[in-house]
Parts: sequence; structure tokens; C-alpha cells
Amino acid sequence: MSESFLSIRSVRKSFGATTVVQDFNLDVAPGEFVSFLGPSGCGKTTVLRMVAGFETPTSGAIVVAGKDVTRLRPNQRNIGMVFQSYALFPNLTVAQNVGFGLKVAGMGKADIDARVKEMLALIKLPEFGDRYPYQLSGGQQQRVALARALAPKPKLLLLDEPLSALDAKVRVSLRDEIRLIQKNLGITTIFVTHDQEEALSISDRIVVMYGGKAEQVGAPFEIYNRPQTRFVANFVGTLNVLEGTVSDAAAGKVALAAGEITLPGRLDGARNGEAVSLALRPEAISLGEKAGADTRLAGQIADVHFLGSVIRVKVAVGDNVVSLDTFNSPSAPPPEIGQPTGISFAASDLLLLR
Amino acid sequence: MRRLWAWGAFLLGLLYFVLPLVGMTEFSLKMRRGEYSFDAYAKVLGDPRFQETFSYSVVMALFTIAFGVLLVVPTAYWVRLKVPRARPWIEFVTLLPLVIPAIVIVFGYIRLYNTSSWLPLTGSATGTNVLLMFGYATLALPYMYRAVDTGLRTIDVATLTEAAQSLGAGWGTILARVILPNVLVAVLSGAFLTFAIVIGEFTMAALLNRPAFGPYMQLLGANRAYEPAALAVISFSITWLCMGLIQIVSRLAPKPPSQPN
Ligand SMILES: Nc1ncnc2c1ncn2[C@@H]1O[C@H](COP(=O)(O)OP(=O)(O)OP(=O)(O)O)[C@@H](O)[C@H]1O
Ligand SMILES: [Mg+2]
Repeated sequence: MSESFLSIRSVRKSFGATTVVQDFNLDVAPGEFVSFLGPSGCGKTTVLRMVAGFETPTSGAIVVAGKDVTRLRPNQRNIGMVFQSYALFPNLTVAQNVGFGLKVAGMGKADIDARVKEMLALIKLPEFGDRYPYQLSGGQQQRVALARALAPKPKLLLLDEPLSALDAKVRVSLRDEIRLIQKNLGITTIFVTHDQEEALSISDRIVVMYGGKAEQVGAPFEIYNRPQTRFVANFVGTLNVLEGTVSDAAAGKVALAAGEITLPGRLDGARNGEAVSLALRPEAISLGEKAGADTRLAGQIADVHFLGSVIRVKVAVGDNVVSLDTFNSPSAPPPEIGQPTGISFAASDLLLLR
Repeated sequence: MRRLWAWGAFLLGLLYFVLPLVGMTEFSLKMRRGEYSFDAYAKVLGDPRFQETFSYSVVMALFTIAFGVLLVVPTAYWVRLKVPRARPWIEFVTLLPLVIPAIVIVFGYIRLYNTSSWLPLTGSATGTNVLLMFGYATLALPYMYRAVDTGLRTIDVATLTEAAQSLGAGWGTILARVILPNVLVAVLSGAFLTFAIVIGEFTMAALLNRPAFGPYMQLLGANRAYEPAALAVISFSITWLCMGLIQIVSRLAPKPPSQPN
């Protein structure tokens, strides 16, 4: 990674006796898009608000572009913020909202008008300058809020669940638009969400948070495919868990109720007889025989959900039930419940959770 | 049948409120023997003391409104933003003027600020005017605070403040460009109420011996027959005009707040 633009160093935050953020470290590169992902109450908003200056860390430091801003007031930080509730000024028109930060900065009227026009074009609402916020849809309001935050050319853009109040379709299109604008402007961005699909689809890197701590930081591909903790594995994506015990640590063998699995070289340090959980994403498992699979287990169809293009099949394997997805094919009806079947997968796709 | 009763009750109420007004108005028009005329009104309006006291009270009302807005808007805003737990206490304090009679307040003022006190406000006309203005502001406080606080409830004070801060605005800008415009309707209705209160106030002005409209009405009422009725109708119309303006202003309020949920 290149040198960091935003650096959050050993930040802790307590409200009274409760610590809601503990020892949080993060370095964000210039132009990077980082998402904070985690369940409700894990401290995402609190970290973001400390970066924005609305909360002061109990200890630790926040550095933006080489400057320690930990004690700086929010209106001196030049950081753009977008809120879940849009927070447009109801008494001002769209153009006045977008120009607010410029006017506060003392920019001349002609310059403000030019910049506002540019920003409205950027969010594809060039004709909406004279409207009031209440005359816009939620998605349009949030785009105006984005333009308002970006107009004064902030150093950082912070978004706190900006899409949560919108309906599903708008949510997807606006998130792609946010990402596109962010890439074009090259602005360093932090995006808070509790929606994993959102985080996976638009981020350069994801910080998965839990209980005030960063559980794992990594690219979406890494987070999804190589979760480092049980929490991350469970929180991101659907996961099938097979419970077993180590039968031969040196040879990498794990005994399951439905058979034995070999994980060469991955059980170093484990004791024989130790309980382990092996996890698999649904898309890593195939019904029947799959090319490249080195592990097979016998089972029985337990449930079938026809979802349209995809059929989600649940297979009982020993004491465990695993979910897997197969594509719909008009010529082949879905399997029937109770039918015996086999599943196959590559052992290297297994995640070891201890 | 039920409708009939409702109408009956309404009619009775109407009679109770309107009949005295009609009687008074009718009487005020009877100055000239045997025919209706506006003689009493012409007499009142032409009286230099009317003009003096009335303009004195209007000016006092304007100062009181300005002071009240400057005091109440930042206070109510700050309480909502920073110390929401203190809201019941602040509310209680602002309600005190309703339970403490004006005469008690004014005697307290006179004791505290008399000519031999540490701050002899009553020693000069300007000082007494300032004192009277504070008194009026106190009387209007329950209405002003309530109006503004209700206005603040319709906007998301905390988030709008943070949005403005992140755009570089300081407290002055936030109050002037974000908070005040959004509670303007509430502030105006508080202002009209304040105006109506100040125009009709008697006790404070009389005891502080200022030439206000209230004491003038009392003086006239004690000495004349037709003019007091005319004066009462005039001051009544002023109050009603204020109430009407409150209605118009809240009707004209252009934008509903733009919060989701
Ligand atoms: N001002 C405050 N005083 C006391 N506790 C607070 C305060 N702000 C947040 N908390 C607590 O800190 C914890 C983290 O809150 P935070 O808002 O950061 O969570 P979040 O991850 O953003 O959750 P959500 O997804 O629900 O928005 C919560 O348990 C919350 O109750
Ligand atoms: Mg939050």
C-alpha cells in the first residue's frame, strides 16, 4: 500500500464506563474506498464521527494528510459528510444547499454558481437547482446531499449508511453511482454500512467490525474467501459448517460423521481429537460429481427451494445440513426431497474455524 | 339530534363571547345622540396622549420581541442539542411567569434596581424602559419558548447542525442560516403573541410609571364614557389582528420539513 492519507491510530472511545471502540487502527490510502461493515451497535458510526470531529477519541490520534486533526473542531476539518437521513436544509433550495459550504468558505457568487452547476451535472440533476428538498424523492435528496458534501472539495468523504432509507432498486443504482463519482474524483472515502452485499460490491477494502474492534481488514475477495475469524466467516455471506474432530493432525485428516476429509498441511499445531469446524460457501459445493473436486461426501436431499434462476438445495450430510446452489435448467427438474445424493468440493476451499 | 345539541352549545358560547363585544361596539358608536357615529373613535385617535402611549408601547413591543428572539432561540436550540435532559427544567422555568403575578415581579425589580441599589436602573427613564422591557420579555417567555421549542421539534436539530458543521459553518452561521429560518414561523407566532401582551399590559408599566398604552386605557376608562369603549374595540382589534397574522404566517409557511421516517 502507498503512504496513507487517513490514519486512525490506536483510537479508543468510551461513553462513561462503556467502551464502544477499542484500539482501532486503520490506514487508508489516497483515493481509496473503505467500507466499515458490522452489526448494529458495533461502533461503526462512532469511529466515523470521530474522523468527522463530532466525537473526540478517549485516546489515540487521527491524522489526515499528515496533519493531526484529533482536537480540531468539525468545521475546521474540511471533511464531507453524508447522513442516512439526508439532512438537507429544508429552508434552502437544492442549489443553495449545494452552495452552502462554498458560501460559508466565502466564495464569490459567480464562482459558487459555476461550482453548483458542475455538481448538479455530476449527480445528474441539472434542472433541479430551484426545487426545495421536500420536492425531491429520497434518492434525489441523497444525491443532492452527496453533491453538497463534495462541493467544497473536501479532503475526505464520509458516508454513514447513506442508502439505508432508500428502497432496494434505488439503493443499488445509487451505490454504483456513488462509487463511480468517487472513482472519477479520486476522493478518499469511508462508507459505513451493515449490508454486506453493499460493502462487497463497491469497496476497495472492507473493515469488518464487531464489538468496537476491527475483526479483519481486507479486500472484498479476501474477506469473503479467507475470513480470519469465526465472526467474519459467519457475518459475511452464507456459510455451511461441518463439525468434526482431528483424527490425524500430521496427515491433515479430519473425521466427520459422514466420512473423512484430508486437509494437507493445514492442521499444523492441532492435537488429535481436537474439535474443529470446517466451513464452506454454498457456491463451493456441487451436487454430485464436479470436475476438480477432490472430496466427496454422501448425503440425502433435505430441502429444495426454487428461487428462479437459482435452486438452493439443502443436503443432510451426517449430522450437518449444507446448503448449495445449482442453476435452474428447464430440461432437468429439481431433485426430490429424500433422494440420496453425493456432494463434492475441493478441500482447499474449506475454511478452518477454530 | 346530536348535531342540534352541538349547534346549541356553539351558539350559546358564541352569545357568551360575542354579545358583550357587540354591546360594547354598539355603545362606542353612540356618542352622538340619536345616531351612530365614529365620534368616539375620532376623539380617541386624535388624542395626542393616545398617539404617544400607543407608539411607546409599539416600540417597547418591538424591543421585547428582538430581545426575546435573541434570548430564546439560541437557548432552546442549545438545550435541545447539548443538554436535552435539562429540557423539563427549562420548561418549568419558562412557565414560572404564568404562576408568579406580574405585580410580584415588578416589586422585585423595584427592590433590586431602585435608586439606592447596586444597579439603579429606575434612576433614569432609559434604565426604567430597559427594566420594563425585561419585564415584558419575562411575561412573554412562556409563549415565546413554547413556540420556538415546538418549531425546533419539526426539524432534526442535531443532524442539521452536524451537516452544517461538516460544511465549515460555525455557531453563528448555523443559528442564522439553518436554525432561525426553519423556526421562523414559530418565532413569528411567538412575536405576535408578545406584541399583543405588551400592548395590553398594565401592571408593570403602571408601577414603573412609564407612559404605556395599558395605563392610558385605564386612565381613560376611569374618566370618560364613550371613548373607553372605542379604545377597547381598537385594542381588541389589534389583538385579533395579531392572531390573524399568526394564522396567515403559519399558512404561508412554504416548506414542510424534509425528514424521512
Ligand atoms: N453518545 C453516546 N452515549 C452513549 N453511548 C453511545 C453514544 N453513541 C453511541 N453509543 C453506544 O456506542 C455503541 C456503538 O454505537 P454506534 O452508533 O457507533 O453503532 P453502529 O455500529 O453505528 O450501529 P448502527 O448500525 O445501528 O448504526 C452503541 O452501543 C451505542 O449505544
Ligand atoms: Mg450507525
